[in-house]
Amino acid sequence: MESLKDASQKLKSSVKNSISLSAGADLFLRFVTRTSHDVTNFEACKEHLMNSGKVLVEKAAAVREKIGDLGVQFIKDDATILIHSYSRVVMLLLQRAAACKKRFKVYVTESRPSCLGIRATKLLCKAGIPATVIYDTAVGYIIDKVDAVFVGAEGVVENGGLINAIGTYQLAVVAKAANKPFYAVIESYKFVRLFPLNQYDLPTHTPDLLTFPDLEHHTDLSEDEIIGNYEAINPSVDYTPPDYITLLCTDLGVLTPSGVSDELIKLYL
Amino acid sequence: MDPVKKTAKELKAERRALQERQRAEKAARAAGNAAVPAKKPASGSGASTTVGSTSATSTTATPLSETAGSTKTTDSKQRHSLTKEINSKQVDMFSHLEITKGANTGLAPKEIHPAILVLGLQFSEFKICGANARCIAALTAFQKVIQDYKTPEGMGNAIRHLKWEISTIDIEMSDDEAKKLLCEKIDNFIRDSITVADRVIVEYGLQKIQDGDVILTYARSSVVQQLLLEAHTKGIKFKVIIIDSRPRLEGKKLLNCLVNAGINCTYAFLHAVGFAMRDVSKVFLGAHAFMSNGALYSRVGTAMVAMMAKEKNIPVIICCETYKFTDKVQLDSFVMNEQGNPNDIVNISTTLAPKPGLLSEWLNKPDLKLLNLLYDLTPSKYITTVITEVGMIPCTSVPVILREYKPMVQ
Repeated sequence: MESLKDASQKLKSSVKNSISLSAGADLFLRFVTRTSHDVTNFEACKEHLMNSGKVLVEKAAAVREKIGDLGVQFIKDDATILIHSYSRVVMLLLQRAAACKKRFKVYVTESRPSCLGIRATKLLCKAGIPATVIYDTAVGYIIDKVDAVFVGAEGVVENGGLINAIGTYQLAVVAKAANKPFYAVIESYKFVRLFPLNQYDLPTHTPDLLTFPDLEHHTDLSEDEIIGNYEAINPSVDYTPPDYITLLCTDLGVLTPSGVSDELIKLYL
Repeated sequence: MDPVKKTAKELKAERRALQERQRAEKAARAAGNAAVPAKKPASGSGASTTVGSTSATSTTATPLSETAGSTKTTDSKQRHSLTKEINSKQVDMFSHLEITKGANTGLAPKEIHPAILVLGLQFSEFKICGANARCIAALTAFQKVIQDYKTPEGMGNAIRHLKWEISTIDIEMSDDEAKKLLCEKIDNFIRDSITVADRVIVEYGLQKIQDGDVILTYARSSVVQQLLLEAHTKGIKFKVIIIDSRPRLEGKKLLNCLVNAGINCTYAFLHAVGFAMRDVSKVFLGAHAFMSNGALYSRVGTAMVAMMAKEKNIPVIICCETYKFTDKVQLDSFVMNEQGNPNDIVNISTTLAPKPGLLSEWLNKPDLKLLNLLYDLTPSKYITTVITEVGMIPCTSVPVILREYKPMVQ
């Protein structure tokens, strides 16, 4: 058990954005500790662990299909959807909706600095769905033309809030102000036992983020150097409080943010 | 004048006259009721003085000398006339809530165990303050009652109708065993649901206190006090702002405790909370009870502090043991509350020596009423998180905890 814990710690610390990773690892540890009571000798135990690991991996892939089926009901015919960055679940959901012969358009935020929104647009156009890239800063401009917002997530926290690529919180606030529904589409293994009080209570938040430069040397730097500097000290994920989320489509069903806590408590009981 | 208007006016006058008559009747009835108990025999009041002087180890009330008994009766007569006055000065909107008229142990039936009488006295004079302390004191008193209990003749089956812990005990068990078991159960309850729970809550709470935090708290919660002391012991550098309110001034005790431990503290009254909130990073509050709709029932003034914090987007963290969760639902502070003695508001001193203020003649002023509410309700939207011994949960998950951890025993 100790070596398992150490291994998961190592994994978590090696990857930069380890929230979904830590969620999965914690869940696996939990699953293993609960089911290993009935196994007697060590060899059988080892085999049991390997099998449960394989089962979890297989389940993870199948889970997205299930979410796709559930989420399709929220995309109405002739709708305009707004999505943020690139998420495999959201992609699957949109492709499933297109396969159901629904006609809709998609606005995709550019999502700097990763620019994953461009990849998403390419995939959608290939699937025959009209999609276009908008600036992250143009979200307020376009929100009144949009019918619904869909996002994926790195993790869902205990109160039903989301941790996702930077810009999600902004998008949620704008959607709420414009009275548009904000749906999160997420696999249940991403439920994580964190309870952030605000943005600065996230494990990804360090004191180095968004610091001010040394004014004496700043004037000597070239534009490229400045860009390099500020890209390093900007956050890559943010936290969206549950008040801004309308519903979460998971493989456990369509939940409200307070329902997430219910599921987590049952899981970790 | 228009005939329709005239009749409306007449009706209104009639209704008003009827209301006045009903109000006068009600006042007369209340006065009549207060007058009757004053005639109770001296032996009843004799028991109360015994309770006051001894440590309540004796179960038999010794009859007192005639002189002591007579002084007590005059005292109680005075108290009854005062009660009558206070009754007619009840605020109408809160007339459904009983005012705690101060301990009148002369009215207590003789069958009540002295330990419970002592408890009642201590509660009414706020000698024991705070939800946890009251709970522990009550349970300890019940333990004494159980230890001194003797099964009444031929009523062995009556035990089965007592509360559920007692009713689940095997009827074959002997009295001694049953008593030992019950006392043990009470000890376990205190240990598991309060003492150990508090330690677990402190562990979770430490995760949320970092260097440089400015923490605001209201009145005095025993769990929050433990948490702040523990955080200081761990070497975390933080400041505390204590908000206090009249007439209880419970925050003073917390201030004493924290300052003695070496924590940097600021002390302010409730009316300054908007100003004090400017530099605050987190708010920690205690609870008296937690409703199933996620609403917090706590010391009066808590709701104001929580609302002010939410307005400035400051996280509000409640520290609450799960035994305080109830499956009741409450939407406002009116339907269930407690009224304290209105005379407490008259004293404006901040030290032990009482100093009457402008309100000292309030009983003589016909249209003036004093209201001393003890608790209020904080709606769930002002609460960020609740720290319990089962973890940090959003306040909407209180019924989930009740469902999973405390199934109803039928």
